[in-house]
This record gives sequence, C-alpha cells and structure tokens, in this order.
Amino acid sequence: MAIAAAIGVNRPALATTAVVLNSDDDSLSVIDSDSYKEISRTHIGRGPHHLIQTPDGRTLIIAMSGSNELVMIDRTSGVEKQRITASDPYQIGFSPDGKFFVAASIRLDRIDIYDGSTFQLLHRLPAATMPSHIAFSHDSKTVFVTLQGTSGLISIDLASGKINWTVQVGRQPAGIITRPGGTLLVGIMGSDYIAEVDPTNGNVIRKIQTGNGAHNFLASADGKTLYVTNRVAGTISVLDANTLAVTSTLKAPGGPDDMAMSPDGHELWVTGRWHAWVDVIELASGVLKTSVPVGRSPHGIFVY
Amino acid sequence: MFDALQRILEQIQGTIFETAIQPALFHLGLIDWSEDVFDGVEFALYGALAVILAYVLCRPLELWRPVERWDEAWGARRAVRTDIIYTLVHRLGIVPAILFLVLAPIGVAIDSYSRFAGYIPPELEQLWHPLFHHPFATFLVYMVVLDFGEYWRHRLQHRLPWWWALHSLHHDQRQMTLWSDDRNHILDDVLALAWTGTLAMLIGVPPGAYPLVLIGFRLIESLSHTNVRLNFGRFGSLLLVGPHYHRVHHSIEHAAPPFDRPRGCNFAIIFPIWDVLFRTWRPAAGYPKTGVASLAGQSVRCGYLRHQWEGFRRLATALVHLVDRRRPDFVAAFRME
Repeated sequence: MAIAAAIGVNRPALATTAVVLNSDDDSLSVIDSDSYKEISRTHIGRGPHHLIQTPDGRTLIIAMSGSNELVMIDRTSGVEKQRITASDPYQIGFSPDGKFFVAASIRLDRIDIYDGSTFQLLHRLPAATMPSHIAFSHDSKTVFVTLQGTSGLISIDLASGKINWTVQVGRQPAGIITRPGGTLLVGIMGSDYIAEVDPTNGNVIRKIQTGNGAHNFLASADGKTLYVTNRVAGTISVLDANTLAVTSTLKAPGGPDDMAMSPDGHELWVTGRWHAWVDVIELASGVLKTSVPVGRSPHGIFVY
Repeated sequence: MFDALQRILEQIQGTIFETAIQPALFHLGLIDWSEDVFDGVEFALYGALAVILAYVLCRPLELWRPVERWDEAWGARRAVRTDIIYTLVHRLGIVPAILFLVLAPIGVAIDSYSRFAGYIPPELEQLWHPLFHHPFATFLVYMVVLDFGEYWRHRLQHRLPWWWALHSLHHDQRQMTLWSDDRNHILDDVLALAWTGTLAMLIGVPPGAYPLVLIGFRLIESLSHTNVRLNFGRFGSLLLVGPHYHRVHHSIEHAAPPFDRPRGCNFAIIFPIWDVLFRTWRPAAGYPKTGVASLAGQSVRCGYLRHQWEGFRRLATALVHLVDRRRPDFVAAFRME
C-alpha cells in the first residue's frame, strides 16, 4: 500500500510530520507539523491502535487488532515493507534488548510473546482480564502487563513464559512505565493517581495523585520530566521524573490518550479519543496551541 | 457535505460521552468500559438519526399514498405504537446493549479459543487482495455478503417451526408501517446476532468507517415496511427491496404452494437478487393485506412486554409440538382467539 503517498509525495524527509492511528476509521492520518493540517488520511487495515518503532529505529510497526496483522513501515520513506499475521495485537512492545516482542490482546484476554527478530510465537498466555499496557524490566527478563478488567498487574518471565506473580494494583490500571531505578509506575485509570510498584513482588510503594482517569505515560527525551494523561479530567500532569512531584497541569480536552514529543522537545502531541482530534500543547507556556481534526477515535501517535 | 455531517456527529458523540457518560462510568467504577460505551453512544446517535430520517422521509409517503387507512376504534393505532417502542428500544441501543452484554463474552470465549487452536479469522480483503485498496468497495462487498447471509437466515426463520414461532411476531402485525422493521422477539435478535457473529468469524467484521452509509441501509429497511403504494417497477424491483416487494412477503394471502407460509416468498432484505437466484421471487400485482391469518386479537394488538411474552408462549408451544410428532401442523400450535 502506498503509505509513501500518504506521508507526502515529494517530501524527502519526514521531519515535519506526525502519524496518527484512527482506530474507529481504520485509517492513518498524516499531519504536517508545521502547518498543523492533516495532509492525508489513508486506509491502513482494521482496528489500528498502537504503533512503535523497532529497536534499530528503522521501522514503524503498526498493530492492527481488527485485521490481525503487524504492518511494517519504513520509518524514513514511509513505504510499507511487510505485513505479518499476528493474532489481535493491541498494545505492543520490544524488550530493551530487542530479543522479545510482546503483544497484548485486550479483547481476547491473552498475552503473546514472540521472538523479536523472527516474530515467531514463543508463548501464548491467557490473562484475565483485559491485558492492556506493557513495560519491561531493564534486564529484558521480565514483561509487566496491566490487567484493566481485574485491577491487576502481571509479571511474566519472557524466556520461559511463566508467570512470576499477579497482584491487585488499583482500579482499572492502564499505562505502565519502568523508571530508571527499576520500579514501575502504573496509571490507575479508575482513580486519580499513579502507583509506584515494586517489580520484584508487585507491592505498591506509594501513590501520587495526578487527575481523574490517570491513563498513560511519556518521559521527556532527557528523562527529567514525566507526562501523565488524565483521560477523565481532560488534563496532563507534568511530574519531576526524579521526585515524582507534580509540577504543573496542562489542559488537554477530548479524552487525552497517547502522547508523543516533537523532535525539538517544544511541543507535546496528544490524541483526543472522544473528539477525533490531536491536541498540540506548547510546553514552554503550557498553552493548548491547536487541536488538529483527524479520523474517528485517534489512538496511537508518532511524531517525526 | 458528508464529511461535514460526519464531523458534526463525531463532535456531538464526543461531547455527550465526555461530559455525561464518562464521568458516570468513572464514578461507578466502570471506566474500563469506556471504548465499548463510546461505541454505544455512536450506535444510539446514529440510530436516532436513522429514526428521524425514516420518519421525515417515509411518513409523508404514508400520508400521501397509504395502502391502508385504519379505523381508530379497531386498535390499530395501539399496535403501531407498540412498533414505535420496538423501534426506539432497538435503534437507540437498549436491546443491542443487553444482547452485547450477554453474547459478547461468549463470542470472545469462542474467538479466544480458536486463536489458541491456531485459527485466526480472515478479512474479506485478505482473501481477495484487490479489495484492500478500495475500502468503500470492500464495505459494499461486505454488505452484499451479509445480505446474502440475512436472506438465508430469513428463509430459516420461515422454514423451521420453532424459529417461525418467534419470527411470527414480526409478521403478525396487520398494520405495517415505517416502524414495523424492528418488531422482533428478543430471542430472535439473539439468534440474528449469533448468525452475524458466526459470519464475522468466517469473513471478518465489516469496516466501521461508513456509519452514514449504514444509515442508508437502515432507511431501506424502514421504507420496505412503509404503508405506501410504491413500486420500484419491473427493473427497480430487481435492484432494491421496496415497499411493494416486501409487502408481498408480509402478505396474509400467499398461502398457495409453493409460496405457502412456512416457505414464503420475497425474503430478501436489501438486494432482491437472492430471491431471483433461489427462485423465491414473486412479482405479484396489487397490495395485499398483511399479517398471519391464524393470529389476531390481543396477542397481536398489545403492548411491547405482552408481545414479547407472547413470543415465549408461541415458542414453547411450537417446541412441545416438535416433540409431539403426532401434531406436525405447527401453525395451529399458536392459533389464538
């Protein structure tokens, strides 16, 4: 498929584009990040939700939960390279060493562990219920997945596929991220806080209040700042990554979900699930700069 | 224009969800249902739009050239009021929400089990690659395939005694109007969903990118039940199901072989081609009276809940008669006063 055309004909570099997955429209929007205009919307397949780049940074992988595929796109040219069959991939992630690729199926209550280079299925685990966001230990031995439907957090040994532990971590946990020190942060979407969790046993170490519907995380490139979307409150909490103190709160109406940072670090781009737009926030002033209309239920986002 | 309308509807949906529904879900501890309920709001919004459009477009036709004018004292208006309730509880999402809550876990369990067994349901465009580059064409192909499935479901509804017991609720209405399309027993809806769900496991789910076009298909179904003298003509009647075409299917009189009640005629929902291909097309002249000859009175002209109860009664009676092979004439099983 001609994603190249979608990304922009005659654009040799992709430095000024953002890619957004419209999960209810089965489409991929490309936004010109200079003019803040959607320049194309292309059919990509069924149920695109999340996208990540490969460890070498050369390829974007789009998880198509509806059409059971992983779509590989050349990060530089925007051209589709390959489609790999994969059962209902929703959230996806690579272990830090790139050896394992994990896909969570929120609809079918299942976690799949693949070989990170061949995409051969290694382990398929039932995970009740609604396995959602994924994080890895720094040593690439363990994957942690939030279980939205049962307020749980599961720890799985990647090599053996064995479950280390499953704990209750808070109502409807969603986003999860591994801190530099190894502890985990979990967005407690059914409440108004994030929880810091001990990765060895799942115990909650402390809770940090952010806003109603604490959902997802993004760390700044320098690692000093942490952003948390609060989907019900329609805000983004800005935290000091070291102390986890909330330093400010940004407005992001429309059901803020996934985030991406502009390459210069000046803007935060956030998908607004409920209003089919992408909020662009100027970080220096904290002002909502614009909301760019895209397709229905925009979810995953990647900014070049 | 469609894009602008689509955008307006998206914003209405988003505002309703963000300001009213999402806070309620959050406080009830149900925030993990957000995506499903958000889709439900869309269903209800587009359903409401379909109802409004059906009324605006079809009601003037009923006033202009009605097939029948009804005696008020006869209770006909009450029967139509029941159909209005049927329409609202279906198209605004109340019944579909109940069915979703009951059937979705079963569907997920089956789908999940099949993945463990190595079966990943295909999509039509994966089976036939050229479709991939034409998503709207893909959508239309899905509609044709699903309509084909609906044709055969409809034939079984008439052919199988126990299923006809349920489907007879749809047919017992003698005052067909634009509201009659959703007059179905809830068990019949369960079967319809299971039927469609099975098809989805085989060929995939239709793309969700064209909700406005779906409204167009719902309008055709409302129009086909409308009380209007409207015939699409010899050629048009082969392209699209219309009021005359479908009225013949609902005819109380077509009891003569081979179009007797258990088998019937003109089963197509959208595309009449299936009736032509499978020899169930009946290009009758005139506008016959509608209903089921053996069903009349309070069991037909009653409220929503009574009518639903009546469906259970007819099903039970039909099942008893199926067990009791000495009385194969199932139609008699639910004869009323």
